[in-house]
Amino acid sequence: MSLQKQQILNKEIDSFDFQSGGEASSDLKNILRKLGVPSKIVRKTAIITYELEMNVVIHSLGGEITALISEDELEIRVDDSGPGIEDLDKAFTAGFSTASDEIREMGFGAGMGLVNVKRYADQIDVKSSKDAGTHVKVIINLAN
Amino acid sequence: MTRKHSVLLKEEKCEGCTNCVKGCPTKAIRVHQGKAWIKEDLCIDCAECIRACEYHAKYTKTDQLEKIVKTSDYPVLLIPPSFYSQFSAEISSQKIKKAIQNLGFRAVFDVAEAAAALSRKTLDFLNNNQGSYISTSCPVIVRLIKLQFPDLIEMLIPLKSPVELIAERIKRKFKEEKNINPDIFFLTPCPAKLTTVNRAIGQKESFLSGAIGVENIYQKIYESLADIELKTEAGRVITLATIWGSEGGEEGILKSWQELNTLSVSGIKEAKKLLNEIERNNIPDAIRYFELTSCTNGCIGGVLNVINPFQAQFNLEERIKKIREITQAHNLDFEKDDDQFYNFALSESITADNVSKLDSDFKKAMQKLEQLQKEIDILPGLDCAACGAPDCKTFAEDVVNGRASRADCIFMLRKQLGKLADDLSILAHELPPVMASQKEESDDS
Ligand code: SF4
Repeated sequence: MSLQKQQILNKEIDSFDFQSGGEASSDLKNILRKLGVPSKIVRKTAIITYELEMNVVIHSLGGEITALISEDELEIRVDDSGPGIEDLDKAFTAGFSTASDEIREMGFGAGMGLVNVKRYADQIDVKSSKDAGTHVKVIINLAN
Repeated sequence: MTRKHSVLLKEEKCEGCTNCVKGCPTKAIRVHQGKAWIKEDLCIDCAECIRACEYHAKYTKTDQLEKIVKTSDYPVLLIPPSFYSQFSAEISSQKIKKAIQNLGFRAVFDVAEAAAALSRKTLDFLNNNQGSYISTSCPVIVRLIKLQFPDLIEMLIPLKSPVELIAERIKRKFKEEKNINPDIFFLTPCPAKLTTVNRAIGQKESFLSGAIGVENIYQKIYESLADIELKTEAGRVITLATIWGSEGGEEGILKSWQELNTLSVSGIKEAKKLLNEIERNNIPDAIRYFELTSCTNGCIGGVLNVINPFQAQFNLEERIKKIREITQAHNLDFEKDDDQFYNFALSESITADNVSKLDSDFKKAMQKLEQLQKEIDILPGLDCAACGAPDCKTFAEDVVNGRASRADCIFMLRKQLGKLADDLSILAHELPPVMASQKEESDDS
């Protein structure tokens, strides 16, 4: 049974804001260190959060990221408004990307985003459909 | 006395400005009662504060030559590759070494020899292991990783630094061959190497007995050079691995042998940025090796050096050209039999310095985190550093940890004073009933 989770981070993410993209993941990393979360988990979280954050920057019209924690679980929620993901199965396939050429030229959008997130997350739930935005919920186990 | 750190404060010179506080990459400095104190558990000896201080209040105290020569029976000095950047390439390395030895050392050795061997070993390691690795040679970088990027510790290549490698080998050799226990000193370009004498990295103990700063003996060496007559330019020419003294030297050697994706970055700020990107997997996996040095331009940028880093870079490059001319070899040897005499592996694992925790109990840490957020919210967010901390967030953390009081912030103090003044004036108008009625009466009349 998981205890009541408390919110430790809530941040807006702007579309195409590459300057501040990555700030939420840095903030969350610092918070987890302050809470004494083991470094392996901090790293996982940093990777996941950064991927999700950049997804919002690159693919959506903006969104927000929220992190909640209890002693045994960390929950990261990323909600954006935007085109959504038409084919979720495809989005979980390595190398599949809908990033524009412009974005690819910048070195982003290699299509590892969600695949990477799935690799590091203990649970992942993605809700999305065309034009309904994307809503990702990731769980990382802290207990043991 | 074993000091934990080599960067120290000269109290009488400190004016209490916050230049060093702001520039410290680990936020280790706080101005307290007008003096900029360093928190030992956070300092990584990067020397940024020495560079930042206009009043020369931050300094490093390395060993004194006179004392070493007087007290040691068998002092040996190790010369780093970067030291040769302090002289024009016209002055032969043999001459420089002779001048150093004349100061009173029984023998001098080039650390570059071990650097060459380490390069060969590193390539061997990379070819036999998967994944990406970070060089362990700069002690500041290792300390930074231990402190702020503990999850990257596993990326540190588990091999000794060139200085420790050669020190260990010499110790063993002298013991075996001559039954002598030499005291080995390092001619250091930076405070951090001095710190490793007392706090070795990945080893139980350092093989060094001490370290002398380049600035301590440079003048003496320089002045004596003119008097040194070498019959022939006896002794071997220094190795091409002397290029290790400047940024990219190490990776250049690796690449001269084999096609390899490597990356070199120098300067503590840049190094921090890179580590941050590595941490969130935002750097291609294809990069197998990272050469990171805390000082801009690599060891030639060390704060204890005498020559400016630009000239030093030029000198070093000229010297490399010379070595190539003399040895008729463009690249460093890829194989050398005597590498087997080095003991490359670190004997202990490198551990994290866990100091960022608010509390070791999760619930208490959560409470403190909440408190911290509240504290941050009420502060003005100007990061003026007048409180003595580098920025409002760090100050808030100090308050939560009971190391500072909210009124240390002048804005909070002003607010409190303002409130006090308001309260006072309200109080002043609330006259006691007896007096108040008298007043009313007199008003009526
Ligand atoms: S040496 Fe570096 S880490 Fe230590 S107090 Fe100075 S600036 Fe900070």
